[in-house]
Amino acid sequence: MAANCYTVPVHWNSEPSLFHGIDPRSPIPLYVQIADRVRLAIATGTLGSAAALPSVRQLAAELRINPATVIQAYKDLEAQGFVEIRHGAGTFVRELAPGRRARERSQQAVALVRKLVADARRSGVSLAELQRALETELGVKAT
Amino acid sequence: MTDAIHIERLHYRVGKAFEIKNLDLRVPTGSIYGFLGPNGSGKTTTIRLILGLLRPLSGRITVLGDPMPEQHARILGRVGYVPEQPHLDATLTVRELIDFQAAFYPSWDRAQAEDLVDRFELDGDQLFGRLSKGQKAKLMILLALAQRGDLLVLDEPTDGLDPVVRRDILSALVTYVSERGATIFISSHLVHELERVCDWVAVMDDGRLITASPMEKLKHGTKRLVLSGVPREIGDPPFRMLSRESSNGAGESWVVGGWEPGMTAYIESLGASVRDVIDLDLEDGFVELLRSFRGRTPHP
Repeated sequence: MAANCYTVPVHWNSEPSLFHGIDPRSPIPLYVQIADRVRLAIATGTLGSAAALPSVRQLAAELRINPATVIQAYKDLEAQGFVEIRHGAGTFVRELAPGRRARERSQQAVALVRKLVADARRSGVSLAELQRALETELGVKAT
Repeated sequence: MTDAIHIERLHYRVGKAFEIKNLDLRVPTGSIYGFLGPNGSGKTTTIRLILGLLRPLSGRITVLGDPMPEQHARILGRVGYVPEQPHLDATLTVRELIDFQAAFYPSWDRAQAEDLVDRFELDGDQLFGRLSKGQKAKLMILLALAQRGDLLVLDEPTDGLDPVVRRDILSALVTYVSERGATIFISSHLVHELERVCDWVAVMDDGRLITASPMEKLKHGTKRLVLSGVPREIGDPPFRMLSRESSNGAGESWVVGGWEPGMTAYIESLGASVRDVIDLDLEDGFVELLRSFRGRTPHP
């Protein structure tokens, strides 16, 4: 048994970076968060055409979430045309029409900005202040 | 689809101090069902009733389609149970305990048991009494899983354990569900853990069920509303009012259950306006539910 201590069971305890920081406390349902991560990875090319997603069993165990949650995420991705579920084989990224990745990226950008604006409003930061901060951060010269 | 556990109008009492009154509960087959409640709320008693370890005064319990306790032998062959307190013989080794348990179950999965001994890094030659708390918990989970039951009933299986052990145990449970499609009924205080893994959740307090609902519905329906211009008297709201407090000045803060976005119309019909709708996580929702329940009923 002693030898066992030196083998790190990688598939058992590690969270793949793709899904790092998935937040069960968030009001956004877990299956939506997982589908979002996969969509983003596809949009940015981290997951290329025909790339395999982790199996339901593997991902559920790694994130310690309900397998039904993973299945729901994969089914949504399939319905949106991003992946193909081949029964018994796994879930694979589909060949996407040209421009689809770029379109997906700009949708992600819009979503990020919406969240930023909502957070700013909630914490009482004005839109002008937010814009100034953004420009400074991006290195755009503020007038 | 039948329910893995179906409890109807259950009544149970010990002495005068504690009773379970009129309990109705359905645990859908294939769900991972979280059973929440403070200490002494009746979770363990309910679990013992489900397993036929206690007899109800009245009511009906059906487990995996069979009546409990009438069919207890048949049912228990298909149910893996992890009690709150380790109940194993301290003078037996891990391997002996596995062999002992295996003898009771024709469905015993030897390969699964071996695999879990490795994954949990248990030493087969170690005496049970010498195991750490975490190792004991892992062994109990191993015994419940290798039995290959269709239903697992776990009474606070990870409470008081360190995060690494909790992680290993939850991963093993989730893997089991993916492979077997089994139902898990799990009681715990660890709200965040249940929030991750469960698709159904029930909350108990003082021997009564406060709520039972799909996890998403409970999480999404529980909100903190920040309002202004609310009249003192309001009629019957279309949601469940859990708490109502006035915040600084003219504003009010409400915690509500069963909220839907369209209900802002109701608030506006009172002449008030909704300044913010804040999402609550399961723990906040749980605390507010308990608070409201206790505020409404006399508490011993």
